[in-house]
Amino acid sequence: MIDMDKFDKVLRKVEKPARYIGMEKNSVKKDLNKVKVKFAFAFPDIYEVGMSHLGLHILYNLINEGEDFACERVFAPWVDMEEEMIKEGIPLFSLENREPVKNFDFVGFTLQYEMSYTNIINMLHLGEIPILSKYRDENDPFVIAGGPCAYNPEPIADIIDLFVIGEGEEVILEILEAYKEFKNRKGKRKEFLKEVSKIEGVYVPEFYQVRYNEDGTIKAMEAIVEGVPKTINKRIIRDLDKAYFPERLIVPYIETVHDRIPLEIFRGCTRGCRFCQAGMIYRPVREKSIGRLLELAEELQKNTGYEDISLTSLSSCDYSELPLLISKLMDRYEDKKVGVSLPSLRLDSFSIDVLKEIQKVRKTGLTFAPEAGSQRLRDVINKGVTEEDLINAVGYAFKEGWSNIKLYFMIGLPTETEEDLLGIRDLGYKVKDIFFRLPKEKRQGNLKVTLSASCFVPKPFTPFQWVGQDSIESFNKKIDLLKKNIRDRKIVFNYHDPKLSYLEAIIARGDRRLGKAIIRAWEKGCKFDGWSEKFKYDKWIEAFNETGIDGDFFALREREIDEVLPWDFINTGVTKEYLIKEYEKAKGEELTRDCRLGCTNCGINRNFTGGVC
Amino acid sequence: MLMILRVKFTKKGYLKYISHLDLMRLFERGFRRAQIPIKYSEGFNPQPRFSIANPLALGIESEEEYMDINLHERIPIDEFIERMNRELPDDIKIRDAKYIKDKRSISSMIGWSYYSISFEAENIDRKEELKKLLKDWLKGEKIIIKKLRRKKKKIIEREQNIRPFIGNAIVEDCIVNDEASNVRVVVNCMLKAGDKGNLKPTDFINAMDKYLNLGVNYDTIDIKRLSLLIEDEGEILPPM
Repeated sequence: MIDMDKFDKVLRKVEKPARYIGMEKNSVKKDLNKVKVKFAFAFPDIYEVGMSHLGLHILYNLINEGEDFACERVFAPWVDMEEEMIKEGIPLFSLENREPVKNFDFVGFTLQYEMSYTNIINMLHLGEIPILSKYRDENDPFVIAGGPCAYNPEPIADIIDLFVIGEGEEVILEILEAYKEFKNRKGKRKEFLKEVSKIEGVYVPEFYQVRYNEDGTIKAMEAIVEGVPKTINKRIIRDLDKAYFPERLIVPYIETVHDRIPLEIFRGCTRGCRFCQAGMIYRPVREKSIGRLLELAEELQKNTGYEDISLTSLSSCDYSELPLLISKLMDRYEDKKVGVSLPSLRLDSFSIDVLKEIQKVRKTGLTFAPEAGSQRLRDVINKGVTEEDLINAVGYAFKEGWSNIKLYFMIGLPTETEEDLLGIRDLGYKVKDIFFRLPKEKRQGNLKVTLSASCFVPKPFTPFQWVGQDSIESFNKKIDLLKKNIRDRKIVFNYHDPKLSYLEAIIARGDRRLGKAIIRAWEKGCKFDGWSEKFKYDKWIEAFNETGIDGDFFALREREIDEVLPWDFINTGVTKEYLIKEYEKAKGEELTRDCRLGCTNCGINRNFTGGVC
Repeated sequence: MLMILRVKFTKKGYLKYISHLDLMRLFERGFRRAQIPIKYSEGFNPQPRFSIANPLALGIESEEEYMDINLHERIPIDEFIERMNRELPDDIKIRDAKYIKDKRSISSMIGWSYYSISFEAENIDRKEELKKLLKDWLKGEKIIIKKLRRKKKKIIEREQNIRPFIGNAIVEDCIVNDEASNVRVVVNCMLKAGDKGNLKPTDFINAMDKYLNLGVNYDTIDIKRLSLLIEDEGEILPPM
């Protein structure tokens, strides 16, 4: 345990001390001397963000179910806390037993966002754990990582001892069981890594070597140790009804980003949007049955007392029996004043009807994501919504009493023209017209249309993994064009910082050589890069220059189809042929149907589920 | 029929670091887990009907907090306490509860708050010395403090006489730590609280430090509320 006098002293000085106290309802504090494997679940951002992440709750409870295992939580201390900890000499510690992380057997990071990597380095440093894998020895924990960004693990391959690719519920227990054995016989660090590298879904970077061509592209990646797999297959849970899901969730004392019950209704998505990594890597779609969901809802409600159940997934309106599920939940919990909510909405009247049913509450904002301004460009990205859908949905929403509409777009999508961009403005003005075409007595509230544009970041394992990102200059021109053309008191235009998106693009499709640049950026003071007020673009550029990394090479360069990509050794189940075909179709502005309506041959049912998606 | 339960509870230990809003959420969820038949407001966004008297500032512990909660069904007091305490954390526990007939809310009745304030002071080394200083200080009719108020973008300085807001202040303890050669002082004080005037304990410490030149080390201050009291026709009484 850390020095409690010092802990008490620093709590007096920081902005939100409750971030660091733990002790929440349903948290699990075991006697660390009585367990065989100690796992620190590390989230590389602050408490309020980390506690909103469902994966944390699943793995935390799953590991703690094991009698021999203990899982404790660690978050990135906010900058004020970090400063005080350094001043007092308090190392990074877990919330439950306030145990220094270096005393755990594993420190497991979840990789939700590329721009959290400097926080990982910072947390290792605060935890007094060597930053580079090769400098860790038998006294250090194993540093393990998983989550969506692990699908391209290479930029942090020098930092992480082992990655888990895919869904973690089964594989994490296999790793911990293997560790228990290993600890009993007091094996060497390398032996353990060798052993777990044989577990499906585990990737140990130090057993592989990458060779490069003269032009900087990858020539080959090969195993340098015998017996390790050539291809790493992702892990998936076949039957979500039988998969572990916690019945108790930690209820934070302070308000978090998502402060409610996350009831996961399915995994995967069938829509096939070509820019979307989640839509590809989480295939196939697997739904939980209504029976199982009601059972979980009952337990979770009883054990947390939360006032809201959120039906989470990548596209919740696609759940096959959504109206039935919602009406059953409402019947059960209306009396207890427990609400049901949907995090994402489809652009159709069905979705709004569903929303009407559950949102007997205030008519707050409605958010839709047309993603692109013109039909042509929406066809390119396979976002299967039409302008008609939007007009109908918005018209319906206005009649039902909503007046605050938010539309999400991306700029810099492949093949984008000025016309496509101005389509964003046009949609905004059309929405406004629909409102004012209503007879005056039928208009409710004060119209506000928000057009929000993010800068497109090409991601691995999508049909756009080969395309070059727009340059910062080009993004700025496009933003200026829209700013100039959107002049209306009722319409607000927001946009993301192109500089941050450029960095995201570098890291998202980076290779092993990036590791030293990320470490250098951290040395220069970069951390919490995802927090706009903390983001130091100039320091990052200095770091690239000093480590000989050309950011444009990773972000802006269009790849040849036959180029070896840094993540090619991972098998997500969706074949490269399918991605290529989709890329070609994108260029031809050709749509691919939702695969609930018929298989589109992405390969997942051949690779992983044996025929049925 | 109106069913109002007046509840006495604690807020101690590290839970002094959760805010008033956090505490409201904690009780709302606690009521739901404990299946307390609490009344909800009407309308689109139903809220549980309960109110906590004289919210504590972040970082202050309390032995005695009070809230009134509206129920739609009567449940035995023992059962209420037992069910709630099963759901509440160790540092927030229900101490007592009672059905009340009085229509006045607990918030409107509170008049005084009794605090125990502990801190290290550089310029004090004997209890008697501090006792005399305090006694003389409180003999005066006026104790003026300057308060800063933000009004739009301007910061306005305002003077305030806090003497009427200080009921009493006594030196409870004065512990000399020979090793570190510092002195920990404990002062108990009764300060005005509620709608009809309120003196924050931190403002009281600032004033005491300034007027008596105690040399308070501000990093060492611990404040605990010992009780909340009501003033009824000049009489000072416990709320239940």
